Amino acid sequence: MKYLVDVNGERVEVTLDADGVTVDGTRELAHLADVEGTPVRLVTIGGVQHRVIARRSGARGSYALWMDGWRFDVEALDERTRAIRELSESKQGPAGPAPVVAPMPGLIVRVNVAVGDRVEAGQGVVVMEAMKMENELRAPAAGTVRVVIAVAGVAVEKGTRLVEFELEG
Amino acid sequence: MKTRRRSDSPSVPTPVARPIRKVLIANRGEIAMRVVRACQELGIRSVAVYSDADAHAPHVREADEAVLIGPAPASESYLNGEHLIAVAKAVGADAIHPGYGFLSEREWFARAVRDAGLIWIGPPAEAIAAMGSKTAARTLAIAAGTPVVPGTTEALRDAAEAAGIAARFGYPVLLKAAAGGGGKGMRVVREPGEIAAALASAQREAKNAFGDDAVYVEKYIEGPRHVEIQVLADMHGNCVALGERECSVQRRHQKMIEEAPSVAVSPELRKRMGDAAVAAARAAGYVNAGTCEFLLAKTGEFYFLEMNTRIQVEHPVTELVMGIDLVQWQLRIAAGEALDLTEVPQPSGWAIECRITSEDPANGFLPSTGRINYLHIPSGPGVRWDGGIVVGSVVGLSYDPMLAKLIVSAPTRDAAIARMQRALRELVIDGVETSREFHLRVLADEEFQRGAIDIQWLESRLPSLLASAPSAETVRAAAIAAALIADRERGSAAGAATAASHPRNTGADAAATEWARAGRLDALRNA
Repeated sequence: MKYLVDVNGERVEVTLDADGVTVDGTRELAHLADVEGTPVRLVTIGGVQHRVIARRSGARGSYALWMDGWRFDVEALDERTRAIRELSESKQGPAGPAPVVAPMPGLIVRVNVAVGDRVEAGQGVVVMEAMKMENELRAPAAGTVRVVIAVAGVAVEKGTRLVEFELEG
Repeated sequence: MKTRRRSDSPSVPTPVARPIRKVLIANRGEIAMRVVRACQELGIRSVAVYSDADAHAPHVREADEAVLIGPAPASESYLNGEHLIAVAKAVGADAIHPGYGFLSEREWFARAVRDAGLIWIGPPAEAIAAMGSKTAARTLAIAAGTPVVPGTTEALRDAAEAAGIAARFGYPVLLKAAAGGGGKGMRVVREPGEIAAALASAQREAKNAFGDDAVYVEKYIEGPRHVEIQVLADMHGNCVALGERECSVQRRHQKMIEEAPSVAVSPELRKRMGDAAVAAARAAGYVNAGTCEFLLAKTGEFYFLEMNTRIQVEHPVTELVMGIDLVQWQLRIAAGEALDLTEVPQPSGWAIECRITSEDPANGFLPSTGRINYLHIPSGPGVRWDGGIVVGSVVGLSYDPMLAKLIVSAPTRDAAIARMQRALRELVIDGVETSREFHLRVLADEEFQRGAIDIQWLESRLPSLLASAPSAETVRAAAIAAALIADRERGSAAGAATAASHPRNTGADAAATEWARAGRLDALRNA
């Protein structure tokens, strides 16, 4: 079974067989084992062990992965699922940058953008207060503000959409 | 240790020695656990208090007694001093330990505890007051002969006066708006020729921003380190400095990593800083554990900032290199015991502390919330975990995001760094984002490893630290792990999922099993 894995913005083709894995034409023994009573999994690749924690994040095949002292955002889909997903995405047209959502419950202190504003990736758009600290929420990518939902002085729940964007141009 | 009777201290009621049999701990989280442990080792009963949010917290289950004090908001529970005193009286406690944060540095609370006939495990209310405001502490330090950052207290009249004072302090100097904040009305002046223009623009900016053009001048300390001295004082007039902690790795004035000793402090400097800290503590009539914070300039000059009149978060690094239990000494001093240190101990080895917080470094250090699903605490030689979480703990937004402190000690700084990296890799916290990866990046940083740090270091280094990427080999391994996990969850009968039903099967074993099965099939066919 062939998997197309997006990891840190890079695509890696991983082909699994009964007891091994092939990447870039090199095959190694590989397997996955649970550590009983824990969410830890032991991934052995070519005899080298890695302790891995994976947490589902959103759609099927998407995980936050902790491994070897690093945190990865990964999406691993088999070839067919990947093809179907990309086909349906291309029909919808290019999606805009992800909306800014409240990462925790808290109070909106300030909204720094208005509809139609151009924003750069990483630009602060909303300031939220939680845990007595002000936290600046930033635009995930460059784009244009399409909708501003956040209102200063209003308390919001975790996951509330605050600002939506559309692609530039 | 040279001891001296206090003679010049403010009028402080002499504390009376009384045994402590039961302590109410007016705090939560890891420091409450720390005090519970100290009490248990001294044979003192401990009483935990908790809010609704902390009903299942470890300090509640480990203490001898536990009392619910109110709803989650701290103002209605951990900050409700009058209620805490009433609870202490009701359970028959004879002392209150405030931990750090919350009510620990509130003069009124220390006074109310004393007035209620209870022992306050901390400095006298008068000493808290004396060190309470930065200006009061500065005046006190100057009187005690402890160096402070040279500066004026009167607004500058004109450029000539500014130039005269700057010449006395030595360049660079900092012009600072009296009503200032946020860097407005601030100018660094590096040579005499610049001072007139800088003063004019600072005054203009201050006038525009605050409606007040009063500008002061102080000596500008370039690239200073934050170095603090631990002090212990008993009620018999003994006061001792227990070496330094370096806390320069800070983000937004929050300490992230602390160590003891400091690479920048020689035994001779340690002695001078220790003497200065003891002088300041004596001037305040200090009793119990406290910390004098200093800026240490590249030139080796140091300047008193303020005194923290409580036990500090980072106290364990001092405990590990000095071989002393500070929290036990807090209890013993409060009960009237005299310090038995016959000479000032020198630090032995190196200790480092990383604050493990529920903050997401990849996301601007936003607080992360959730339930701790799984926790694997590092152990082995030289590793200490002062934690406030267990599996099932719910990390919310009501309190400070610090989950635990991971502390290591080793013979040398290099060995301590290697040990901390090992311990951080062992650590698993599943359920919330944590600062673990951030700490690993700092510890792998070449400048940190050389000890080339000052209080601005982390802020300037942070973007490149957070942007650092794993090796291609690690990325490839992560991709393989992701594919194996996705394949398992897909429930595919083919692929590596078969091996997974035998958790400890190696690939070779799985292959051998396939051969054995083929052999059995062959045998059946031939039968």
